Amino acid sequence: MEQQHKDLRLDHVSVRFNGFLAVDDLTLTVKAGELRCLIGPNGAGKTTTLDAICGKAKASTGEIRLGDALLNNLEEHEIARIGIGRKFQVPSIFRQLTVRENLLVAHSRQPGVVRNALRFRRSEDSDGLDKLAELVGLRDHLDRLAGHLSHGQTQWLEMALLLAQDPKLILMDEPTAGMTAQETRKTAELFNRLKGNRTLIVVEHDMAFVKEIAEVISVMHQGKLLAQGTVAEIERDAAVKEAYLGSGGISDA
Amino acid sequence: MLGRNSFQFLIYALFCAGVLALPMFVEDAFLLNKSARYLVLGILAMALSLSWGYGGILNLGQATSFGLGSYCMAMALKLRTVPIHTGAEGLPDFMVWNNVETLPWFWQPFYSMPFALAAGILVPALISGLLAWFMFRGRVTGVYVAIITLAFLVVVNLLIIDQQRFTGGFNGITDLAQLELFGFEFDAYGASSYYLIAATLTVCLFAALLVTKSKAGLVLQAIRDHENRVRYFGYDVARYKIFAMSVSAAIAGVAGMLYTVVMEFASPTFLNVPLSLSVVIWCAVGGRQSLLGSTCGAMLIAGMQGALSESETFLETWTLVMGLLFVLVVLFLPQGLAGIGQRLVDHLFAQRARAHAPGTSARPATTPPSS
Amino acid sequence: MEFVSQAITGLSIASILLMVALGLAIIYGITGVINLAHGEMVMLGAYSAWALQTFVGLGFFASLPLIFLATALFGWVIDRVVIRHLYNRPLDTILATWGIGVMAQQIVRLVVGGELRYVQMPSLNSALQVGSVDIPIIRLFILCLSIALFALTWYLLFRTNLGLKLRAIAQNREVASCFGIDADRVYGLTFAYGAGLAGLAGAVVSPLKSVSPEMGTTYVVDAFMVVVLGGVESLVGTVVSSGIIGGLSGSIAFYFNDTIAKAAVLLAIVVLIRFMPQGLFAAKVRS
Repeated sequence: MEQQHKDLRLDHVSVRFNGFLAVDDLTLTVKAGELRCLIGPNGAGKTTTLDAICGKAKASTGEIRLGDALLNNLEEHEIARIGIGRKFQVPSIFRQLTVRENLLVAHSRQPGVVRNALRFRRSEDSDGLDKLAELVGLRDHLDRLAGHLSHGQTQWLEMALLLAQDPKLILMDEPTAGMTAQETRKTAELFNRLKGNRTLIVVEHDMAFVKEIAEVISVMHQGKLLAQGTVAEIERDAAVKEAYLGSGGISDA
Repeated sequence: MLGRNSFQFLIYALFCAGVLALPMFVEDAFLLNKSARYLVLGILAMALSLSWGYGGILNLGQATSFGLGSYCMAMALKLRTVPIHTGAEGLPDFMVWNNVETLPWFWQPFYSMPFALAAGILVPALISGLLAWFMFRGRVTGVYVAIITLAFLVVVNLLIIDQQRFTGGFNGITDLAQLELFGFEFDAYGASSYYLIAATLTVCLFAALLVTKSKAGLVLQAIRDHENRVRYFGYDVARYKIFAMSVSAAIAGVAGMLYTVVMEFASPTFLNVPLSLSVVIWCAVGGRQSLLGSTCGAMLIAGMQGALSESETFLETWTLVMGLLFVLVVLFLPQGLAGIGQRLVDHLFAQRARAHAPGTSARPATTPPSS
Repeated sequence: MEFVSQAITGLSIASILLMVALGLAIIYGITGVINLAHGEMVMLGAYSAWALQTFVGLGFFASLPLIFLATALFGWVIDRVVIRHLYNRPLDTILATWGIGVMAQQIVRLVVGGELRYVQMPSLNSALQVGSVDIPIIRLFILCLSIALFALTWYLLFRTNLGLKLRAIAQNREVASCFGIDADRVYGLTFAYGAGLAGLAGAVVSPLKSVSPEMGTTYVVDAFMVVVLGGVESLVGTVVSSGIIGGLSGSIAFYFNDTIAKAAVLLAIVVLIRFMPQGLFAAKVRS
């Protein structure tokens, strides 16, 4: 059965915090299977946009839709069940649980409480989770407490958790922060493999990384959409240069 | 070779076997009764451990569920007493003293023991569930949960004392009949009650253990760790917390019913702040993240308190020592005494894993551990 | 005239509540610590008044500054020895401070005994006559003292350098440390001040009621309700909510009974926490 692929549409979305306008009348469409990069200076509203999509922040105006489903007034877990997953800027794994247990929690296809009270860990898809752990290099650490992992390993675990959740739309907030060059390359490979089957929106500052994975880039500035296009188009855009990139282009930023 | 889970089950089973075997060595009715009381308090502590240790919900009003359960049982047993104790025309004595004419509607169903048993479990579960729904739908967390549950306990306590026409007020409901179930008579000072309580302890302990081992139990622990993150995986956090608090309340209600059986009365002291806070101490010292630890913590501390109750000075000093121990545990031993046991077990398993690592002989590895 | 006398009682309750709640609010507001031992600090203040009067023969007013210092020292010691390990664990501060409270009660019981003690009303035991109502001078004194302490606290927090540091730390401890503010020392001082206020409250209340080891418990519960209602960030809020809760308890008790009054107030607070956790007076902050 073909998966229903759905586009993400933001229509005139604003997010206001007690008077401060973090996102200002943003209209954006991300097609199903696309890999969209969201870049811009600090305070541009990129993270807030992700927050509005996944339900962490409330949109004050406008509509956010995934396919036909309206996301605005749904609770976070309802949005997640529709198929949206989020990786946060701040590391958010379950430090007191083991790596394996973290993966089990993330494997949330059946989220209901009563049914889960009757399910025991043996019936979980442990093969699939083992493979995931292998993919992110944590195979040997499955029984370690997640709180004991190094920073880089934590980032990988977060990635694995997202994959275990298996969402159709993945929101990534600075996935390569604190990674080495090698790890960054590995992440780029992973992303390139993920797109097509899934939609990815990646907020990033590392422009080399963006260049490696980007198809379409959206540039935000002061809450608004400043420019949108391919890598080449963005590098040529005067407004973007002035606000963010400087005269050297993307590779210089 | 024994895995960790199996090892844990074994320890729990050994504990329960020990508890069940006690009457073979102890025949003094008074001692049996006291031991039975400590077992009940153990069940109460275990209930709190489920919601606090595993769910991160500091329910300072656990005594509410305990007390409600005990009153349900007391009402049923009161209605079964020989007319001598009931005052007149089938009315409990305290009602007669308070000029109550007819039995109130909410007392009527307690003529039926099955109803009373069900009520003792479901009433606390429902009320706690409602309170939980009220709090967690509003995303109340942490400290405020503690405050609200404590305030609620005080309100229930005040109401029960105030409405003495229906509840017996300060004195509670006394002069109860003996419990009779399935043809068995449960004498508070006999082995029968002890076995009833020990068996219930075993059932509740393993039921709670299974809940913690389930997927729901795992999600609950994740919620304790990082509540907000769990939402974005698709879990309705409020529902999980309501579930935890309700199950915990149900177990506490069962404990309350058993307490009435073994104490032979029900009173507002089963529903008051000192008891509720004591449960917290038992769990903290025993180990809030361990069901068995909390149970043993309760039994140990309540037991010590009982043993020292002969002398006033001893008791006051004991309370002082308890306070000190509690503060020390909060500061330095967040996992309680069970945590020490846990670390020992971890150490043993780690050593065994190293000894059996591929490429080494049977003697333990000589290189230092990596963690 | 019933109304006047009832109003006086309500005001009196409110002013006592204010003194106790002020200390609690300061501690909670600045350090984030929920001090369940606060009631015991009130109790210690009352016992100090009794001890100074019985064993030293010190006059009521003369002993007040001493009592303030003594309980302040107690608060400072608690912070330095116990609380400083728990700054990042708010739930555990509840437990630890409660444990300390239990210990304080027990020590008092063991050393002094649990019987009720009585503090003599100071020489001004006459009452002021207003119309046909007798207003006990001591209650007037408490009212004035509470207002004075509130004014002093407000002045300290908003008009001095120390107060500025306190407010900075309350907002953001780490950043304040980066600016060279010694958070540890400030926390200790905060605890001391809050405890001292509580001790004073206990001392001035002691002639009105009997002194016992468990007298502190009701005070801490009530004070806590005041702090929750008034919002931690607002001193004015503390005053207003003391007034509300003091007056409300008084009038509900007048119409129904004490028990129902207490239950009603508690339920109201529960509902308030659920729907307005920041209290009635919190400033709006960008999230």
